[in-house]
Amino acid sequence: MFKFPEGLYTDVRIEDVYETKVIYTVGEIEESKVRTYKAAFIRIFDGERWYYNSISNVEDIQAEIDLLSKYANPNERIEENPVVKKFQVNKDELIKFEEDDIKKISIKEKQNLLREYFPLLEEYEFIKHWKAYYVDRKIYKEFYSSKGSSTKFDNQTVGLAIKMQFVEGDKLLSESYQKSSTNVNGLKGKIQEFRPFISKCYDFLINSQPVKPGKYTVILSPLAAGVFAHESFGHKSESDFMIGDETMKKEWAIGKTVGRELLSIVDDGNIDGNGYVPYDDEGTRAEKTYLVKNGLLSGRLHSTTTACYLDEDLTGNARAVNFEYEPIVRMTTTYIEPGNQTKEELFSEVENGIYIDEIKHGSGMSTFTIAPSLAYYIKNGKIAEPVNISVVTGNVMETLNEIDGLSNETEIMSFILGGCGKMEQFPLPVGFGGPYVRVNNLNVQ
Amino acid sequence: MIKEKYITNIKEISLNVSQSRIDSVRNKNIEKTGLRVYDNGYIGYAGAIGNYDESDLVNKAIATLDNRISYDFEIEGNKKIHEDYTSEIIDENKMVDELESLLSVLREEQSDFYFSHKFNLTDYSVKLINEKGLDLYYKDKYISLGLIFKEKSSLNIMDGFVGFEGRKYDRTLALKDINHTLNAYKNKVELPNKKTLPVVFDTTEPLPFIKFIHDLDGNNFGSNSSLLSGKRGIKVFNDNFTLYQNNNPNYMPVPFFDAEGVVNKDYNYSLIENGVVLSPYTNKKIARKYNLPLTGSATCEYDGVPTLGIPEFRIRESEKTAKELLAGEMGIFVLMTSGGDFTPEGNFAAPVQLGFLFDGEKFIGRLPELNISSNVFEMFGSSFRGVSKNNTSPLSTSKYLIMDMNVSKI
Repeated sequence: MFKFPEGLYTDVRIEDVYETKVIYTVGEIEESKVRTYKAAFIRIFDGERWYYNSISNVEDIQAEIDLLSKYANPNERIEENPVVKKFQVNKDELIKFEEDDIKKISIKEKQNLLREYFPLLEEYEFIKHWKAYYVDRKIYKEFYSSKGSSTKFDNQTVGLAIKMQFVEGDKLLSESYQKSSTNVNGLKGKIQEFRPFISKCYDFLINSQPVKPGKYTVILSPLAAGVFAHESFGHKSESDFMIGDETMKKEWAIGKTVGRELLSIVDDGNIDGNGYVPYDDEGTRAEKTYLVKNGLLSGRLHSTTTACYLDEDLTGNARAVNFEYEPIVRMTTTYIEPGNQTKEELFSEVENGIYIDEIKHGSGMSTFTIAPSLAYYIKNGKIAEPVNISVVTGNVMETLNEIDGLSNETEIMSFILGGCGKMEQFPLPVGFGGPYVRVNNLNVQ
Repeated sequence: MIKEKYITNIKEISLNVSQSRIDSVRNKNIEKTGLRVYDNGYIGYAGAIGNYDESDLVNKAIATLDNRISYDFEIEGNKKIHEDYTSEIIDENKMVDELESLLSVLREEQSDFYFSHKFNLTDYSVKLINEKGLDLYYKDKYISLGLIFKEKSSLNIMDGFVGFEGRKYDRTLALKDINHTLNAYKNKVELPNKKTLPVVFDTTEPLPFIKFIHDLDGNNFGSNSSLLSGKRGIKVFNDNFTLYQNNNPNYMPVPFFDAEGVVNKDYNYSLIENGVVLSPYTNKKIARKYNLPLTGSATCEYDGVPTLGIPEFRIRESEKTAKELLAGEMGIFVLMTSGGDFTPEGNFAAPVQLGFLFDGEKFIGRLPELNISSNVFEMFGSSFRGVSKNNTSPLSTSKYLIMDMNVSKI
């Protein structure tokens, strides 16, 4: 397809993107657009240094390869370079979203998915302002390399979100309702879930009180648990921070105990949703990777470079946020595997704790932080009154050992608006999830 | 029908650093064009990345008039302002050699650390032109060095970051700043034994401002969904606290006009002045809907409708240096937090992963991990000390923001 220069490793990633975005503000249409573009990212490696170029005119790819190659120093033994040797060679075409193709659905139908919610929103005087979003995205990714790779796959995600401002007297609450799927049908018929959600928010609005700061046993909802897994451990499993770092290699030795035996954390690019990446942006096949298995450090996430330097297997985690950036080590769908207690059993064992239901955001390095939006006291094993909390924090490694209970069902989900940020690359679509997770001794403020 | 174009262009050379060495060079040159048509009170729009056929784009924009998105506002016109903030910062062809020289010094002088991340030189321009004689053009060029550092013996992914963003580059000054931070990092000190201490932020740190993003949003403010709703004209913050919506490129690389072509006097707008709430940030639609001042805070995606965006905030600096604002006390300089947020009623808390004891001129040493907490009305009210008149570095335009907060060890 392309004429690759001699003495250099070259690869080309082509992204053919279709996106819809519809926004209504308090019932009035604010945005309704379809965006399509095709663009590419080119990489050349001479064994010493990488050279990249992102281009928006795909007809110029060959010319850009030729131009970029002039910066590099051809190396006749490039194929013996350990990183180049490590690159997988795959030839495959995985097209799975032709049947429920979002491109075939009219913009009116997409608008109507949101409009269905308007009468309900208008019913409640305490919802003072709201915005309703419909977003979808279909991407075809092609990958070609000078080693002979030729892959193509598609992914498709759709979602709706309603951001609401609740007000009663001097009480305020911002909260969002979100649903995601891989096709439009997956968003239909969800409105019956919406009314109870509003009731929950209203109850929180009028009854919530500032939390008494302190250390608590905290139960995380599947949403909060998924973000916790992503922030607390997922980022630590991205192995680009370990290259050449002997301290980290020793500290993060495979087989080390990092949590209790009930804890297993997985990253898997084969799961439908935002994190579906059957081939990563270096053409590597996605693997199911146990980061933690039964409390033991079991694996980490790799690009080809990191896998080469650490002499480990490829995992398919080299991802770029879009055609403007190079792939770096990122998560796909990261989740905590279920345990063996029912949700009710998990709560019943907590005399005085906190339940985090919905969250605004999370982050994590040595300390992780979750900013809850809807949270409740747990008293005598039951969810009790709502509490306003700024942040819940804990030391990542200590906290993993404080997890002492998991419910028996894992939910996988995707954020509709936003995504994962790492350095300059934001927002990367990722999936996440978990069961209900009980953690002791978290700092609540 | 009036046609309008919104064109952005970014040219960037980005050098990536891994394990204290350059591992890649990335070039980017991407132009995005948005074409809008205004007709009978409605707006149509279309966009393209890279090359495009103008008549095709116009037809696409006209077709979107069917969405009947109302735009019944005066279209800006008869205004031509071109502002060019570019200068010769560094020879593009010598960037690799320059960074390699800087890194070689760091590898020798700061051999206890690994360095990673980016050295970018960015050319950025925004143009807004229409058939009513609007011709606004902003062009800028800036350099940013962002190096994440990690102590070789550390078990963390990263321990902190050093660097700057601005329109100047000088290796000696850059190294002086980096060495200042890293030398202080190596000196562990204790947290002063006081419940309340002056806490110091770099003014580019977004954390202290996140409450204003929500509560000065024109939609939230106008619909009584904000803590500040109903407080226009009322003093709720410190006498010395003035908050601007900043579109002035002299303070940060930002276009002097918004996505609707609104240009403010002195390229800024006072949202809070001397503690008195004057206005939330608004675009044309929000200003009319809630009868609020128009502050020119519209943003847009290249192929979309102008909508209310989050502006850059700037606090008016005081007449005092950071040292004078600290008035002999030691401050807690917050270099790196992990999250942090406000509750709806304005209570704030954040864990600080890396903080330095700061005497107003230099970092004395690295503090243990700690918590900071307060309330928005205290942070910018009774506990507000001010923003320094001096910059944090000769290579940066950012300053020190200082307020008293509750501080405790984690």
